[in-house]
Amino acid sequence: MKKQLFWWGERALLVFVAVVALFPILWMFLTAFKQPLDAYRVSIFFTPTFNNFKAVFDEPWYLGRMVMNSVIVASVTVMISVPCASLAAYAFSRFRMRGRKFLFFLVLSTQFIPAVVIVLPFFLMFRQLGLLDTRLALIIVNLAIVTPFVIWMIKGFIDAIPVEAEEAAMVDGASRLRVIRDIVLPMAAPGILTSSIFCFILTWNEFLFALIITRREAVTLPVGLVNFRTERGDLWELMSAAGVMITVPIFIMAIIIQKHFTRGMTAGAVK
Amino acid sequence: MAEVRLENVVKRYGGFTALPKLDLHVNEGEFLVLLGPSGCGKTTTMRLIAGLEEITEGDLLIGGERVNDKEPKDRDIAMVFQNYGLYPHMSVADNIGYPLKLRGLGKSERMAQVRKVAEKVELGELLDRRPSELSGGQRQRVALARAIVRRPQLFLMDEPLSNLDAKLRVTMRAELKHMHHEMGITTVYVTHDQMEAMTLASRIVVMNKGRIVQLDTPERIYSEPADLFVADFIGSPSMNLIHGQIAGGTFTAEGISLPVSAPDRAKVVLGIRPEDLQISDASTAPIKAPIFALELTGESTLVTLRAGATQLCARGAADFRAKMDDTCGLAPRPGGRIHLFDPESGLRLPS
Amino acid sequence: MRDRGLPFVLMAPAFLIVLATTLYPLSYSLITSFREWRLTRQRRPGDFVGIDNYTGAFTNHEFLSSLWVTTVFVTISVVATVVLAMALALLLRRTGRLHTFVRIILILPFAMSPALIGVSFRFMFNPEFGVLAQGLGAIFPFLKGVAWLADPRFAMGILIVTDVWHWVPYMTFMCLGGLTAVPRETEEAARIDGASGFRILWEIILPQMRGVLVVVAILKTIFALKMFDQVVTLTGGGPGASTETLAYFVFKVGFHWFDMGQASAMAWILTAIMMVISIWYVRLLMSERKLVTA
Ligand SMILES: Nc1ncnc2c1ncn2[C@@H]1O[C@H](COP(=O)(O)OP(=O)(O)O)[C@@H](O)[C@H]1O
Ligand SMILES: [Mg+2]
Repeated sequence: MKKQLFWWGERALLVFVAVVALFPILWMFLTAFKQPLDAYRVSIFFTPTFNNFKAVFDEPWYLGRMVMNSVIVASVTVMISVPCASLAAYAFSRFRMRGRKFLFFLVLSTQFIPAVVIVLPFFLMFRQLGLLDTRLALIIVNLAIVTPFVIWMIKGFIDAIPVEAEEAAMVDGASRLRVIRDIVLPMAAPGILTSSIFCFILTWNEFLFALIITRREAVTLPVGLVNFRTERGDLWELMSAAGVMITVPIFIMAIIIQKHFTRGMTAGAVK
Repeated sequence: MAEVRLENVVKRYGGFTALPKLDLHVNEGEFLVLLGPSGCGKTTTMRLIAGLEEITEGDLLIGGERVNDKEPKDRDIAMVFQNYGLYPHMSVADNIGYPLKLRGLGKSERMAQVRKVAEKVELGELLDRRPSELSGGQRQRVALARAIVRRPQLFLMDEPLSNLDAKLRVTMRAELKHMHHEMGITTVYVTHDQMEAMTLASRIVVMNKGRIVQLDTPERIYSEPADLFVADFIGSPSMNLIHGQIAGGTFTAEGISLPVSAPDRAKVVLGIRPEDLQISDASTAPIKAPIFALELTGESTLVTLRAGATQLCARGAADFRAKMDDTCGLAPRPGGRIHLFDPESGLRLPS
Repeated sequence: MRDRGLPFVLMAPAFLIVLATTLYPLSYSLITSFREWRLTRQRRPGDFVGIDNYTGAFTNHEFLSSLWVTTVFVTISVVATVVLAMALALLLRRTGRLHTFVRIILILPFAMSPALIGVSFRFMFNPEFGVLAQGLGAIFPFLKGVAWLADPRFAMGILIVTDVWHWVPYMTFMCLGGLTAVPRETEEAARIDGASGFRILWEIILPQMRGVLVVVAILKTIFALKMFDQVVTLTGGGPGASTETLAYFVFKVGFHWFDMGQASAMAWILTAIMMVISIWYVRLLMSERKLVTA
C-alpha cells in the first residue's frame, strides 16, 4: 500500500517536472504556428499557419541573414577554439611540468571574469579598428568566453582515459604526435564532440556581446529577437517563430550529447 | 637481443626517492625477474628502462649504448603492462599489428604476421573483436601477441599475470617460459609473486624499499637468502625465524635447544624452513612446544607450534593427526639447512 | 612523462587566445577605470582621475540599488537552484523509462537561449493574454489581475524563476554525477542498520555530496552574478530600477550613458566581488580533502 503510494507519487512528480520543463517551450512552438489573433488570446485550439515563418524571413525582419550570422560565428568559434583547447587540455592532463597548476588556475579563473568587464575594451578597440558590427569581432569575443571552458571540459574527458594505452603506443614505437593522432584523438572523440557542441550552444546563445557589438550587419539570432519589439508592441507570433528557429538546431544537438553531458560536467568538476 | 645495464641509477619524484641507487646488469638472453613487495620500486625500474620515466641520475645502457635521452619509441623494446594497455578503439588484429604499422609495414604483410602470432597465442578466432569483448586471459594474450609480433631487443613485463585467476596463471606461466626458450629474447619481468619468480627466472632480483637486496639464481635465493628480508619473503609458508643465542655449539631459545656448528653469539636469529623440519618424538626432540594450529594442504599438513613468543611451522605428512595444545616435538630433517643471521644488520652469517 | 618542451608547445595556441581575449582587455579596462572618459564628449581616453570613478560608484544611488538587487537575486536564485537540483537528482537517480525521458528533456531548458527565455516568459506573464498570467489567475483567485511584470516584487520573482528554470537542469546533471560517486553500499548498510529514508538522505547521502554541492553553489553564484540576458529581454531592468542587476547597470552606464571610466570602475567592482567569492570557493574546496579541482 505504502509502496504503491510512493510509486504513484514518484511518477506524478516526474510528470510534473516534465511539464514544467516543457511547457514554456511548447507554448512558444504553438504560438509560432498561430495567426496573430490566436496569439493574443490564450487559445489551445486554432488553425495552424506557416505565415509567421514566412514573415520573419521577409522584409523587414530578414531572419535569414541572422541565421547566417549565428551559424558562421558559432561554427568558426568552435573550429578555432576546440582544436586549440584540445591540445592544451591534453598537455594539462598528461604532463607534470612546472607551473602546470598555476597555468590551469589562470585558465579557470578567466571564467570568473564578468563579460561586462571585457566587453568595454573590446567595444572601444573594435570601434577604433572599424570592426564594430562584424562577424569577426563577434568570433573574437566569443573565443574569450568559450576557450577556457572548453579546455576545462576536454581535460575532464582526457583525464578519464587510461594513460597505459598511450604508454604502450610509445613503447611500440609511436612518436608523441603519432600517439595523439592514433590513440588519444580516437579515444577522446566523444568527449571532444560533446565539448564542441557545448561550445556551439554557448556561442549560439550568446547575447551580451552581440547586443553591444552588432547593429545591422552581424546581428545574431538572440539579439534579433529584440527587433520584434516595435512601436506597435511586441509581435509575439513572430518572436515565437524566430524562437523556434533559434531553438530547433540547438535542441537537436543537445539531445545528441545528452548522454555524455553528465559525464563531461562532473569529470571536470569533481574527481 | 641485448644486455641491459643500470649504473648508479637514481629516481626521485619531487622530494620522494623511489630508487636511491640502483646497479643492475641484465645478461643477454636471460629471463630476469624483479621480485619484491608492493611499492618497492619494481614498476619504476621497469618504466625507467622503457623510457616512460626520466632517469634522475645515473646511466642506462641497452646493448652497450647509453639510452638515457632516447625516446621509448627508439629503444626497440616491447612491454606488457599490468592492465595490458590495449588500444580500446582498435580490433584485436589492429592492436597486435600496430607496432608493425608504426614501422611502415604494408597491410597484407602486417595481417600475415598478425595471423601467425595470433595462432601461436590461440587468438586466431578473435581477431575482429574489440578488447572490451574479451576475457582477462584473452586480453592478456593480446598484449603478449602485440609484444612478440616484432622481435624487439628486450621484453619488459610488469606483473602480466596478476589479473588472471590462479589456474590461468599457471598455464600462462608455462607459455611464457616456453616462449622465452623459443625466442631467446632478453626479458625483464616484474612480479610480487615468488612462485612466479621461482618458476620463470634465470635470475631473481629481490628488491626492498628501492634497493636490490639479493641478485641470484632461484635456487640460491631459496637456499642461501642474503638477509632476513629475503629469508622471510621467499618461501611459503615462510622460513621460521627464531631469536636466541649460541653458546657452546648449541642454539637456545624458549622451548628450543638445537645443536649448531657456529661460534658463540649473544644475539642471533636462526632460520629454518618448514620443509627442513620434521615431526619427531616429543621426549627427545630439540624443539618442544604445544600445537597452535593444524592446516591440511592436501599434499602435507602444516603444523604450527607456539614456543614462547615465536611460532614455528613445520611441514608434516598428510596423514599426521594430533590434537590442538598437545605438545609436539620437531627436529631438523637430515640434510636440512639451518641459516643464521645477525639480528642487528639482518645479514646472513657465514656458517 | 618526458618531452620537456612539448606541453608548452601544445598549450601555446590556447594560451594565445586566452591572453589576447581576456588578459589584454582586462588590463585595458582596469586602466580605463582610473580615467575620465565620456564617449559623448571625447573620442580619446581623458585624464587619469585617481579613484574618482570608484568613489563615484559608491555614491551613486542607482549603483547601490543595483548592488542590493543583485544580492537579493543571487541569494534566492542560488538557494532555490541548489535545493531543486539536489531534489531532482534524487528523483532521477533511479533508472526507469520515465526517469530517462525526463533526464533527456531536462537538457532543453538549459540549451535554450537565455534571451529567448526572457522573451517567452514575458509573453506568458502578459496580464491580458499571457497563458501563465491567465492560468494562475484562474487557479488562485487572489492572483487574478496582478500586473506581473509591472509589479516590482513579482518582476523580481519572475526574473528568478526564469533563471532557476534555465539552470536547474545543468545543476541536476552535476548532482547526478556526484550521486554516482556515492556508493550504494553505504546506503544499503545504513538501511540494514535501520535508518529511515530521511536519515539516510541527511546523514549518509548529503555529507558525501558536500563537495559537489559546494561546486554547484559556487558555479551558480558566479552565473547569477553575471545575470544580464533576461534582464534585457524580460524586464528591461524595470519596473523602475527594481530588477537592474549589476551587470545590467554597468551595461547601461557604458552603452546608454557612454561613461567608459565609470562603467569600467563598476565592472571591476563586480569582478572583485566575484574574485572574493571564487577564492572563498577554492578555499572551501581545498578543505574538502577528497576533492581535486585541477
Ligand atoms: N609518479 C609518481 N610520483 C610519485 N611517487 C611515485 C610515482 N610512481 C611511483 N611512485 C612511488 O615510488 C615507489 C615505488 O613505486 P612502484 O615502482 O610503482 O612500486 P612497485 O614495486 O609496486 O611496482 C612507491 O612508493 C610509489 O608511491
Ligand atoms: Mg608495480
